[in-house]
Amino acid sequence: MPASDIVGRARGRVPTGLLLVAPPVALVCWMIIWPIFSAIARTLWLPDPEGGRQLSVATYTFFFTDSYSLNNLAITLWTTGVCAAFLLPICLSIALYLRFADGKLAAYVQGLAIFPMFVPSIILSYALIRVLGPNGTVDLLLNSVGLPKINTPYLTPWGPVIGLVWDNIPITVLILLSGLGAVSDQSIEAARDVGANRRSVFWHIILPRITNSILVAISFTVLGIFSAFTLPYVLGPAAPEMMGPFMQRTFRDLNDPTTAITQAVITFCFCIAFGIFYVRSVAKNRKA
Amino acid sequence: MDRPRTDWTGIAFATALTLLIVFPLLVVATWAFTNVWRYPSVIPQEFGLRYWHAVLGRADVWTSITTSLTLATVVTLISAAICLPAAYAFARLEFPGRNILFFSFLAGHAFPKFGLLVAIAGIFLNLGLIGTFWGVVLIQLVGTLLFMIWIPVAAFQSVDRRMEESARDVGASPLRVFWSITLPQAGPTIAAALLLSFVGTFYETEGAWLIGAPQVRTLPVLMISFINNQPVIQFGAVLSVLLWVPSFIALLFARRVIGSGSFARGFGG
Repeated sequence: MPASDIVGRARGRVPTGLLLVAPPVALVCWMIIWPIFSAIARTLWLPDPEGGRQLSVATYTFFFTDSYSLNNLAITLWTTGVCAAFLLPICLSIALYLRFADGKLAAYVQGLAIFPMFVPSIILSYALIRVLGPNGTVDLLLNSVGLPKINTPYLTPWGPVIGLVWDNIPITVLILLSGLGAVSDQSIEAARDVGANRRSVFWHIILPRITNSILVAISFTVLGIFSAFTLPYVLGPAAPEMMGPFMQRTFRDLNDPTTAITQAVITFCFCIAFGIFYVRSVAKNRKA
Repeated sequence: MDRPRTDWTGIAFATALTLLIVFPLLVVATWAFTNVWRYPSVIPQEFGLRYWHAVLGRADVWTSITTSLTLATVVTLISAAICLPAAYAFARLEFPGRNILFFSFLAGHAFPKFGLLVAIAGIFLNLGLIGTFWGVVLIQLVGTLLFMIWIPVAAFQSVDRRMEESARDVGASPLRVFWSITLPQAGPTIAAALLLSFVGTFYETEGAWLIGAPQVRTLPVLMISFINNQPVIQFGAVLSVLLWVPSFIALLFARRVIGSGSFARGFGG
């Protein structure tokens, strides 16, 4: 029956639509909204000796005075920053090339740039260990031409950086490419006609039009990398460790959920601006 | 007619990406079909399938394969059961709060994922769901909600309403219209969403590791323990190739979808 009939008949009761969307919405409330509020509440209202709970910032004070926690936070910020600094120029140049090239070679480049999307990060970690790890393929090849072995990035902070950059190339390229789609050929030709060179076309015509896409790409990357788990856990050093492995170890191995949740709330605070911006852009796009 | 210029930029990108993206994966594939490869030989001393027999003879590998397939199937079915009716409602019905509820599925994406998982695990701890199959199902189910609703909504919206109305005019029942008109048109897109949900769940590692391990061991979780504790290189290599199969199937299906701009727009691009 047409939608209007259903809504009309259901007047006075709960509309059918609400009933149909209730289960997934309830799941979002229970498994996303509630855990976030609960996390904030249980790290601020700590159990006191009398068996009740009282307002306290003790777990946060501990985090920000404990040098081990602070080192982990620092390495996380460092990794996120370095990854973004590598990703942006690499992906922007790939996207710019793809925007203005066509033919078989461009299709091949695009296919390769998107391909990592279809390689689960766990396989990627394994491949990087085999290639860059001790006695890996790079060592083999260097050795065969009589050169010394490399200083392997495996189990150093550079291990996760290489893995995370690799892993994030496809989505960054796609987001930037979609932004470049909004730059019209006419505006570029017009600028060229009045004598603008490549550099000034990029700075004055292209860049202002894709600023938003660049910000979206950065937000998405920051959200993904800041609490990345698998790649840092497998490729990174044991100490200092990134926030993802740190939270996991505190929660499961040290069996200290309150401290782990405190660390989670701290990651929320560091990413909140990027999160809100990202979600707003997705929502805006969907509406259009 | 002027000859096309040589595309040096393209050649540079193609070479660099082949070296950085294809080469590491080829190394793993080579290891998987190698019986003996001792340092410092550049090529393996002996190719063969010895380690395939060894890996497929391990009980923990089969348990993980079964666990992963069961989990992915259960999560996809539950997700379809609760999300598809909801998607239909979002696409076709009017009800109070429709917009805000539609965008509520974005909530999880405003937070760094692993932090959110830890917050959820805090709730699961009190409910005794840590280390259980259903705990992992729940955490992976939440991960499928956004695209299992948003993609089918787009599919239902693109169905030609006039065809449905004319079928009604010639006396078809609402169920018949849904079955014969709506579903065939929305079907392919919905199938893509189901495939995405299955493959995404199959590879979901972080929730499975945080909530399920060591009692519930999916294939990616087993792979992590192989990387950390297994000295025989080929075991990990063979498991990597096995692990890649669902992704390869998804790759074949997704080639067309991803090239189009609408896919990137879904990520906010």
